[in-house]
Amino acid sequence: MSPTLGIFVVILLITLGITYWAAKRTATASDFYAADSQLTASQNGFALAGDWCSAAAFLGFTGLTALYGMDGAFYALGPLVAFCTVLFLIAEPMRNTGKYTLGDVIRSRMQTRTSLLAAIVGTVVVNFAYLMPQMAGAGVLVRLLTGISYDWAVIFVGVSMIIYVAFGGMLATTWVQIVKAVLMLSAGAIILVMVLSLVHFNPLTLFADAEQKYGAKYLLPGNYLKNPFDQISLGLGYVLGLAGLPHVMTRFYTVPDARTARRSVVWVMFLAGSFFAGTTLFGLAAANFVGQDAIRAADKGGNLTLPLLAQYLGGGKGTFGGDLMLGFVAAVAVATILAVVSALTLSTSGAIAHDFYVNWVKRGQVDGRREVWIARVAAVVIGMLAIALGILAQGVNVAVLVILAICVAASANFPVLILSLFWRRFNTGGVVGGMSVGLLSSVVLAMIGPAMRGADALWPLVNPTVVSLPLGFFGAVLGTLMWGRDAENEQRFDAFLLQVHTGVTPK
Amino acid sequence: MVRNGTSLEAAHASVKQLIAEKLKYLVPMTVIFMVGYIGLTILAGFAKDLMGTRVIGSVNLGFVLIALNYVLSWVLAIVYGRIAAGKFDPLAKRAALEFSGRGSLR
Repeated sequence: MSPTLGIFVVILLITLGITYWAAKRTATASDFYAADSQLTASQNGFALAGDWCSAAAFLGFTGLTALYGMDGAFYALGPLVAFCTVLFLIAEPMRNTGKYTLGDVIRSRMQTRTSLLAAIVGTVVVNFAYLMPQMAGAGVLVRLLTGISYDWAVIFVGVSMIIYVAFGGMLATTWVQIVKAVLMLSAGAIILVMVLSLVHFNPLTLFADAEQKYGAKYLLPGNYLKNPFDQISLGLGYVLGLAGLPHVMTRFYTVPDARTARRSVVWVMFLAGSFFAGTTLFGLAAANFVGQDAIRAADKGGNLTLPLLAQYLGGGKGTFGGDLMLGFVAAVAVATILAVVSALTLSTSGAIAHDFYVNWVKRGQVDGRREVWIARVAAVVIGMLAIALGILAQGVNVAVLVILAICVAASANFPVLILSLFWRRFNTGGVVGGMSVGLLSSVVLAMIGPAMRGADALWPLVNPTVVSLPLGFFGAVLGTLMWGRDAENEQRFDAFLLQVHTGVTPK
Repeated sequence: MVRNGTSLEAAHASVKQLIAEKLKYLVPMTVIFMVGYIGLTILAGFAKDLMGTRVIGSVNLGFVLIALNYVLSWVLAIVYGRIAAGKFDPLAKRAALEFSGRGSLR
């Protein structure tokens, strides 16, 4: 048995053990969606790190830096800075106004069925746009690492995530994320020490060697993102999009109060931020030691850069140390995907079971036991749908979906969320306007852009956030004005503000 | 539930004070990180040569600014945590007490 498979089987057994333990503790809706809000700041901080660092972060940033230099470092910085927005504006109000979902926040502000429906659409679209490329990525990755076929790899990942979520709910998802975060940070620390020991603990050498090998242009911006507006779109998408990603924001419901939510953000900023910073050094090291040609030969997009670097550091191909390091990093990559897809499945099941079925269809008249049952069934159905979409996505260019997920989150969910929390006049018309304009402009611009149409693009930007985000805000404001003044809603805003800032529920 | 009207008004007044206090700190802090980060992406897009200015050995201005953005984010996180615990939490607690404390049975 190869080290990869061995290490991976160990991780799988640990996560299944966690699920068994969690399942026994998951009975109520609060258990299922929010781990009964009993996590500590550090636990939620690790889980946030496990939730937010997708395979694109774990493998992609290192690869981008290795192949394109500074642009990779930009990709790695954004996801840290994004947490400033979340820390200052979103985390505590989310904790104070919602229960299980993003829809809860909108619903408690607007108290209309239409606005709830808009929030459900925003959640489901973003989650599926995020989930599908993760499944496709999982298929490619697990096939590369273990040798099983793409379809079986997708099925394997899908079935694991269904088991975690349907049985263990948020508690299992959380601990899968914590295990993954610990593994990821350990891998990062080991690789960092090994890399630095090769350059006599002087990181500047990594830059000098890279410049010598690939020329000064390698260390300049613009090697990957050729259009300057794409740089800005990327920045905006990260900084404002994270706050619109339901599967990350629902993590704030797992802690008892706003203070703990805040402290968990500080935790994730140090945990994930140090890993992101590390990827820039890993990328430079990989370019120096492994070489861009070998990286491209293994995977054109550079996604195998980190495993290759680990293999080199362990002693190279064919050595025991090399195989062990490669196996470790590869297994962590699979754990990374499992942690993220589980969170997406759980968050989508919240939107379907809690927001749509319980609060929209049944107007809240469902008892807790039945709600949990519906949520578990929803998780299974969503998981099977994800498996089907993942299998269909083989060979399809899913890059556009990754861009779309973060772009819709920034352009539709974020304006609606932030205006709900802070603008007195914002109303149901604004929710519908912001959601539909943000969503449509993101989808249309991404579809006619280079990510989808390549050279035939009708529109120059890969990532349309720089345009669709202002459009989303414009739609929200326009919708609000067209809807007209809503005196009752505006009057209720004082009570809502009390809830946003203190957590007390006015009833 | 019986609610004392004055305590509700007091709670709302305290929330207003809390919001004013939050704005005082959060507006400048938000401006700082947005200007720092979005400014960096604009420089990366439109001032490539400037970003290539060598600072320490082969490390150019771009990488230095990226490193500074990491430090800035971490410093802001710590500073926010302290301000929130020291200034926001007591005000929020007061508002919550005024709301739930006097005149109502919760």
